[in-house]
Amino acid sequence: MRQRLRLREPAVAVLFIVPAFIGLAVFFYYPIGQTMIFSLFDLDHTSDWLNAPFVGLGNYLDVMKSRQFWLSLRFTFLFSAVSVFLQFWIGLGMAMATFAVVPRLRGVLRAIIIIPWAIPQIVQAAMWKWLYNTDVGLIGDLLVRAGLVGRPPLFLADPRLAMGAVIFAYVWKTASVTSIFLMGGLAMVPDHLIDAAKVDGARTWMRFWRITVPLIMPTILVTLLFRTRDALRAFDIIYGLTGGGPGTQTDVLSSFAYKFYFGYVEYGLGSAYALITFVLILALSLFYLKRIQPHLQFRS
Amino acid sequence: MRLLGKQRLKWVYSIGIIALISLFCLAPLYWIVITSLKTPGTEFRKPVEYWPSSFSLESYGVILGPQFRIQNAIKNSFIVSSAVTLGALLVTSLSAYTIARLRFKYKIESLILIQLAGMVPPIVTIAPTFVLIRSMGLLQTLWGLIIPNIAYNIPIGTWLMAAYFAGLPTDLEDAARVDGYPPFSTFWRVIIPLAAPGLFSAGVLAFLGSWGEFMLALTISLGLPSAQTVPVAILTFSQRHELQWAWVSAGIVLSLLPVVVMVLIFQKWVIKGLTAGAVKY
Repeated sequence: MRQRLRLREPAVAVLFIVPAFIGLAVFFYYPIGQTMIFSLFDLDHTSDWLNAPFVGLGNYLDVMKSRQFWLSLRFTFLFSAVSVFLQFWIGLGMAMATFAVVPRLRGVLRAIIIIPWAIPQIVQAAMWKWLYNTDVGLIGDLLVRAGLVGRPPLFLADPRLAMGAVIFAYVWKTASVTSIFLMGGLAMVPDHLIDAAKVDGARTWMRFWRITVPLIMPTILVTLLFRTRDALRAFDIIYGLTGGGPGTQTDVLSSFAYKFYFGYVEYGLGSAYALITFVLILALSLFYLKRIQPHLQFRS
Repeated sequence: MRLLGKQRLKWVYSIGIIALISLFCLAPLYWIVITSLKTPGTEFRKPVEYWPSSFSLESYGVILGPQFRIQNAIKNSFIVSSAVTLGALLVTSLSAYTIARLRFKYKIESLILIQLAGMVPPIVTIAPTFVLIRSMGLLQTLWGLIIPNIAYNIPIGTWLMAAYFAGLPTDLEDAARVDGYPPFSTFWRVIIPLAAPGLFSAGVLAFLGSWGEFMLALTISLGLPSAQTVPVAILTFSQRHELQWAWVSAGIVLSLLPVVVMVLIFQKWVIKGLTAGAVKY
């Protein structure tokens, strides 16, 4: 009996995992391969690469030679670095706050923190466009009332401010999910360790760096991996809030590639842009995964 | 007495913390709700009104009226997200079971393939997917959104469900095995009921994920209102009526209502789902 089961289990294992592999093959791996092929052809207003001129790495060279590419690459990095940094600290602060408040208010606070995460990014983009309105927007008016500026700044028209505005709108939503991730980690820090440190006279700051941070390190790494990945491939918020503007100041690689695909209908160049984005994300993921690996555990 | 004072202090600063976080998390939403309730046109009044001088539901009438009909987009989103949730749960619970529990030679390789797909930016797959959907004749249909979105849920869904399965006790499964249950019945009769809370978490996340999906929805709908989901409809409307912020705000409020209510009701499962993936591995 046992013998028979042992023989059958691997077959079932394969059967169970096949639907997922079909999905991955059709909607991830085939499109990646196709995009690689697209990127080697000169595709002007067509996706028919079989009848298009082969240009080898020509599209990549064109991309590298354009100033736009380097600007959007720079903004992609700036956007990701600043937004992940802010998300992390705001998220951690909010997560720790849920443990600091009286237990009866914990649920309410969690509910408040989770709300921005539920809002689709593109809907947020529309919201923030109104919040950043120069004449009667909430943000400008608050800044004026606080006496920080004489009159509301042109958030979305001034190149530098537009970058900040996009990043802040993005952080607003993503701090929320970062916070939820970190709450999970913080919940696993045993109270007795913190109490012991308190008895030993460790100050709050010391307790945080020496006990809390090392204990939640695996969670922090996974959180940073996901947050960095999402920031590098951010598209919705930029497409909806600034459309990459003013000019192409706030274009990231994804939004730029989208313009090439469906704006200029240049599948070849768009594909080159898209693949460069992918390579960046892969490189960063490997960097994180190397550090996460020791924490992986499976029943084999 | 001293203890009581200390307790009160704790309440005071708890409320302070909550007020501060609410300001950050809820102020933008407050602004949108307030704008939606202003008489259209008065949202541009100066000085800026933090509390409307006149309330009106006119914008809601417009947004639900023949000119726009946001309810269509909401209905589309419900159809797409529900179908995606069911499909994704089926596919990912099976694959996760293999990864977490069954003897399978290529476990690590499979996991790498699955997680690698999770790293793919949507921009890399969008053009070939568009071409594929076009050749299937599914452009401007909801099926054209449902099928790819099920696939998009595979990496995260498998990850979550595998984390959940890995945390379940093995004794019931072993008992089923000893009793001679074939693996499929074990999965269906023993594992699935045990994993119901995990499935529920993964389901809520799949629902919300596909509710907010934008790039594919934009590309597939090609501007046809009857094929638009909420994100595309809101964006289109806000671009077409750039100066009608009371209308746009009403649209935003109506479109957010279902998801915000859902998240608040299922808060516990959402948090469990999101943290399971981050903590267990």
